[in-house]
Amino acid sequence: MTRVQKRRLYDKVAKGIVYLFSSIAIMILGAIILYVVRTGAHLVTWDIIVGDASDINTDVYVIEEPGDYSSFLYDREEELYFSESWGIGFINTYDKEGHEIVEVGYIDPESPFMNALDKNNKDEYGNPNVVSVKVGTSVEKGFLDNGIILGIQGAEHISNMFESANEVNSLTVQIHGGGIRGSIIATFYLIILTLAIALPIGVSTAIYFNEYAKKTRFSEVIRYLVDLLTGVPSIIYGLLGAAVFIPLMNNVAGTAGGSILSGALTMSVILLPVIIKSTEEALKVISQDVRNASLALGASKTQTTFKVVLPSAVPGILTGVLLSIGRVIGESAALIFAIGAAIKDQIFFKERATTLAVHIWTIMGGEAPNYELASAIAIIILIVVVILSLLVKLVARRLNKAWY
Amino acid sequence: MGNIFEIRNLDLYYGDFQAIKSIDMDIKQNEVTAFIGPSGCGKSTFLRVLNRMNDLIDTCRVEGDVSFEGQDAYADKFDVIELRTKVGMVFQKPNPFPMSIYDNVAYGPRCQGIKDKRTLDLIVEKSLRQSALWDEVQDRLKSSAMGLSGGQQQRLCIARTIAMEPDVILMDEPTSALDPIATQKIEELILELKKEYTIVIVTHNMQQAARISDKTAFFMLGELIEFNNTGDLFSNPKMKKTEEYITGRFG
Repeated sequence: MTRVQKRRLYDKVAKGIVYLFSSIAIMILGAIILYVVRTGAHLVTWDIIVGDASDINTDVYVIEEPGDYSSFLYDREEELYFSESWGIGFINTYDKEGHEIVEVGYIDPESPFMNALDKNNKDEYGNPNVVSVKVGTSVEKGFLDNGIILGIQGAEHISNMFESANEVNSLTVQIHGGGIRGSIIATFYLIILTLAIALPIGVSTAIYFNEYAKKTRFSEVIRYLVDLLTGVPSIIYGLLGAAVFIPLMNNVAGTAGGSILSGALTMSVILLPVIIKSTEEALKVISQDVRNASLALGASKTQTTFKVVLPSAVPGILTGVLLSIGRVIGESAALIFAIGAAIKDQIFFKERATTLAVHIWTIMGGEAPNYELASAIAIIILIVVVILSLLVKLVARRLNKAWY
Repeated sequence: MGNIFEIRNLDLYYGDFQAIKSIDMDIKQNEVTAFIGPSGCGKSTFLRVLNRMNDLIDTCRVEGDVSFEGQDAYADKFDVIELRTKVGMVFQKPNPFPMSIYDNVAYGPRCQGIKDKRTLDLIVEKSLRQSALWDEVQDRLKSSAMGLSGGQQQRLCIARTIAMEPDVILMDEPTSALDPIATQKIEELILELKKEYTIVIVTHNMQQAARISDKTAFFMLGELIEFNNTGDLFSNPKMKKTEEYITGRFG
């Protein structure tokens, strides 16, 4: 081989290796996203986004006897198994999380279940409240005079059981939860609160380091420590949150155990190095000329920093904010302690809650991990991250246009 | 006309390095004084002595007397910010702030606490007119200063300095980053500004010094070699080094 041939061969091999590995990387990323989308996409519905997380059970019984309710108007796709003697029909369907359930598909307007009696709630005179079983609630269990029914037995069986029953001693129907509205709200609360704490502190620290601090060994050491903090595993910060912030908030704000407040404090500590770093980078690239120009015009150091330097650094700071938001959304380990893993519908700053990422952790941690719901939440997280990053890019570009 | 600056026996050190060696100089009111000399001769450093921009460099140490309008400019009780509002500066590279044209000019007055919109409007218009930029930008005052050409940016920087109504304007090679046409405009502007302001200009361009200045100072290796009326210095230099430099034998 000549020298030229050798060089060409070498070039080709090197190029081939680069292409191979980069395509592997892209394929792996693609496969993960494809898996998540395929498993979870069918569950990403408006219902799950705005829905309650907790199930609401209603236990009813009827005192009427079976009758004849043969005429009905039913127009849904699913096959209806109708019990003519009770005027109630059932269908096989799936809940938000993808489990098979039996739903009440139709109730005759004359059916005894339109005026059933609530087992658990009584009015002021001690009489049971009158409630109607709603179409769309799922059947959990029931006690009939001819046996017990369970939701897992399927619509046909349940319908047959009703048809041959003479008494309905109890029927438990459920408005199914499984929504993640609470977790979404908690995540947003956490983002806002965390940024409100970490942003002023982080930006001020960066300004101090970059504009005011003299380059002494001490300031260099501090700076190095800040760098080091970015690499600390977040579970350690979680420990800090549990050991320091939860008791602190319990004493100061009167919380009991973990809360969004202590979660936000923990996240703030995690984010400080990120915000300090990105703000410092943004401040560093601002030319000394502009600072000099301001000082030469008789502006004080403080005026220069806040009127010229800081506004120019805003796009850079926004990048830091974006990174921080991503970190808050994605963090789970540190938050399991500090916020808790309580899936809730009503979110308060002083109470336990769960963010989307911790929600995934919770539903994957049980005896039967729910891959589908986890994937659905993952998709929602991805969508939120994409929207936020586009938003921040847009704002940064706007600001850039205004100034450059 | 009186002396606005009187400098006596001035030494300046960067750490151990002596950048300026015992300079004496009087700068007269309403004159254009040009500093010329080879690179690294200390002329820009000396210019920065006059508005104390050297204070920003930690290792810099100044010895000697600098009196501005009869006061010791380096006295402890002398307010450096006060000095800089009276001694404005235009830099080598046009360095407008990344803000609108209006905000650039209004920056200095605002920093001095002027908030009234009408007062600011008047200051901005007057300054832009004086720096011969008004006609070009009057209909886009709110647009970004970064969209202006290099020459316009430099005139904006001059307008920004004028807005402070200083007594002296220091210019550190103000045309070295500009094309010949923009340079000509700035030179015309300097001649116009001379009527109201004292101007001290550092330049690498000897023709420029000859065209616009009344007095010229020639610096070399931190020393003031010769300081005289511009006409005399260029036509009849007293020192051999000056002659060699202006005839282009070195530097």
